[in-house]
Amino acid sequence: MSALHYTLWMLPALAAVTLIALLWSWLLGRQMAQRTRQLQRELSERQQAEAALRESESRFRDVTEAASDWIWEMDENLRFTYLSERFFALSGIAPQHVLGRARWEIGATNSASDREKWRQHREVLEKHLPFRDFVYRTGVSNQHGEGRYFKVSGKPIFGRLGHFRGYRGTGTDITDQVRAEAALRESELRLRRIIDLVPHMIFAKDRHGHFLLANRATAESYDMTVEELVSRSHRIIHGVDEETERMLADDLEVIESGTSKFIPEETFTDHAGQVRTMQTIKIPFIEPGLNETAVLGVAIDITEQKHAKEEVARMRLYLKNIIDSMPSVLIGVDPWGYITVLNQPAEQVSGVSWEAAQGRFFGELFPQLESQFEQVRQAIRLGQPIKTPRMTLEVQGELHYADVMVYPLMADNAGGAVIRMDDVTGRVRIESMMVQTEKMLSVGGLAAGMAHEINNPLGAILQGSQNILRRIDPGMSQNRAAAEAAGIDLDRLHRYLERRGIPRFLEGIREAGTRAAKIVADMLSFSRGGAVRFTPVEAEELLETVLRLAASDYDLRKKYDFKRIAIERDYDHVRHLVYCDKTEIEQVILNLLKNAAQAMAEMGTPSPTITLRTRYETDYVLIEVVDNGPGMDEKTLKRIFEPFFTTKEVGSGTGLGLSVSYFIVTEQHNGRLSVRSKPGQGACFSIRLPSRREALP
Amino acid sequence: MTDWVLIVDDEEMIRENLKAYLEDEGLGVAAFETVAGALGWLRDGGPCRVCIMDMRLPDMDGNTAIRTLHQLYPGMEFLIHTGSSSYSLPEDLWAMGLDDGRVYHKPLADMAPLAAMARALATAREDPS
Repeated sequence: MSALHYTLWMLPALAAVTLIALLWSWLLGRQMAQRTRQLQRELSERQQAEAALRESESRFRDVTEAASDWIWEMDENLRFTYLSERFFALSGIAPQHVLGRARWEIGATNSASDREKWRQHREVLEKHLPFRDFVYRTGVSNQHGEGRYFKVSGKPIFGRLGHFRGYRGTGTDITDQVRAEAALRESELRLRRIIDLVPHMIFAKDRHGHFLLANRATAESYDMTVEELVSRSHRIIHGVDEETERMLADDLEVIESGTSKFIPEETFTDHAGQVRTMQTIKIPFIEPGLNETAVLGVAIDITEQKHAKEEVARMRLYLKNIIDSMPSVLIGVDPWGYITVLNQPAEQVSGVSWEAAQGRFFGELFPQLESQFEQVRQAIRLGQPIKTPRMTLEVQGELHYADVMVYPLMADNAGGAVIRMDDVTGRVRIESMMVQTEKMLSVGGLAAGMAHEINNPLGAILQGSQNILRRIDPGMSQNRAAAEAAGIDLDRLHRYLERRGIPRFLEGIREAGTRAAKIVADMLSFSRGGAVRFTPVEAEELLETVLRLAASDYDLRKKYDFKRIAIERDYDHVRHLVYCDKTEIEQVILNLLKNAAQAMAEMGTPSPTITLRTRYETDYVLIEVVDNGPGMDEKTLKRIFEPFFTTKEVGSGTGLGLSVSYFIVTEQHNGRLSVRSKPGQGACFSIRLPSRREALP
Repeated sequence: MTDWVLIVDDEEMIRENLKAYLEDEGLGVAAFETVAGALGWLRDGGPCRVCIMDMRLPDMDGNTAIRTLHQLYPGMEFLIHTGSSSYSLPEDLWAMGLDDGRVYHKPLADMAPLAAMARALATAREDPS
């Protein structure tokens, strides 16, 4: 109850205090409001100023942050105090690595020139001088661990009283630019090295002939360095006017036309006076930074190639001459038989030139050799020459013989073969003649061996039949006496014998014996040497002797009606002597006359004529026996001089006559016996006898 | 007076035929197969001026036989009757007056020329003596 009492007691005091407080607070409130209004006014003014400042600051910040430069500041101790935000953005280097340090402390010093550069820069800074575009490489790295190239400019800042307060300036990161330049320089250098390494001349000239570019090869050909040559005039440095004019004219042509020019070959005399052959290409070319068209040229020294080419051409010609000089037909073919080479004889045989024949199948131009294609392939396959001796060919209807060789070509990988063909017809004929002569000689040898053995029995036969004929002859007194003694009437015996044809048979024995003796004698004439006696005789005199012999010859007189044959004499107007065995040659000519007469008689040639002709030739006297009889075909002509070859009926000739004649003329007299004839056109036998004694065997 | 001809030939039928022919011509003929036989006949006084000599003989070759006979009987004339076709007269026989006209080749189809020559030689020789 007391507490309440107490509270009650306190009430008036409390009321009074409250009242005073209220009064004071009213007073205070008035004062506060006043102050607040003032404050509010002040505050609003300040807010406006701050906004303006903020705006200005933001504008500045925008500028600096968008720029490729940054702003830096240094204090009076040349230590960085401020870097705008762009610094990090552009360089990637955190500002704390830089702030508080001097520039030379962040720069890289790799060389003496770097040190000198920094010394100078430091001097500038210490002298508080402004500077522009100082370039350096940082020693501090960015977040990628690489140094950067900076280009900076700056101005010193001074206080109101003129004291130095530091530097302020801009900086930019030029690392990319530096690197690009370095790369470009490197690439240029590499190109330069390349063109200098090229052994060909590479150059560019303007329309006035001034060198814009030249490689080392070009410069060296003028005995200059590249630096000396460039920008000098071609006209001045090139010693040979004719060459200069020609080259400059070419340059101008390329510049004017705008099209490139290929000069396959031109001469160029170098500083040493050596004339070189160049192959040049000139191209229109626009030098960067030059409005005019220039000419870019590349000249290749082909002197060696040209020499080599000329040497090849010379060698080719030489070889061509060699193969042309060979009498053989030479045909070069590739493995497929297409012609690569023909020599002159081959050109003549085919009638086609080498040029025209090239690339054609050889069988097309040489049909006679087409069958050799298999040999060509085989020769190439085996790598060995293949020979086809005595191949028979038909040349204009005549039978020819050829030796054909196919040689494989091993030279390059291309392969191929050479077909060599030699016409050996002449040789084959000579060989067959020799074979014939050999035959004759062997016949002669045989005859010589048996002659004695045969002649004796023949003698017995002939002499015996002669005696028998005589001893049955009633006209002989001895016969009559013997008959009388024997008591025989000889006349009656003779009649008996006649009736039984005995004398006729005996005559037959005599004739047969005579013919056999003739064959042996003919065969004997094939033996060499013997009793041949050479005497000088006039050919015409010889012929006249033969005509006399012919007139008395039984066969000619009786069988061939020699009187009916007209004899024409066509003698050389000059008489010449021949050295011969007179009787032998007379027999030869007589034999020819007989053959002619017989042939004409058998064919019933109208107005049969034999012409006897003599002509003097350089080393021979020619005697010809010409008839107008039936003549001979090719087949007969070929075998006419063969022993035992005859066109006559069996029994009418020995078949030895002409071969004996041939033997006598060619073997015993070193002469020649030949025949010309065609069916229906008569025959002409030519005997050539040496006109000089020395020519005799 | 008979003119005699001496024949030396080893081929009997040749010898006999020649003998027969010459005898028919009225000549006396002595025929021998060998030189020795002929020499014997001559030594025995066989009268002979002409000799027909074969070349290939059994005991001597014809040339030597001629030389021998010539030495012994210098007046004797010789005719050569040979079966060899390649026969040629040696130089010394030429010197003895022989020539190709004295050489007769076998076989003789006609003996008349030989006989005529033999007769001519046989008679010619007789005249001066």
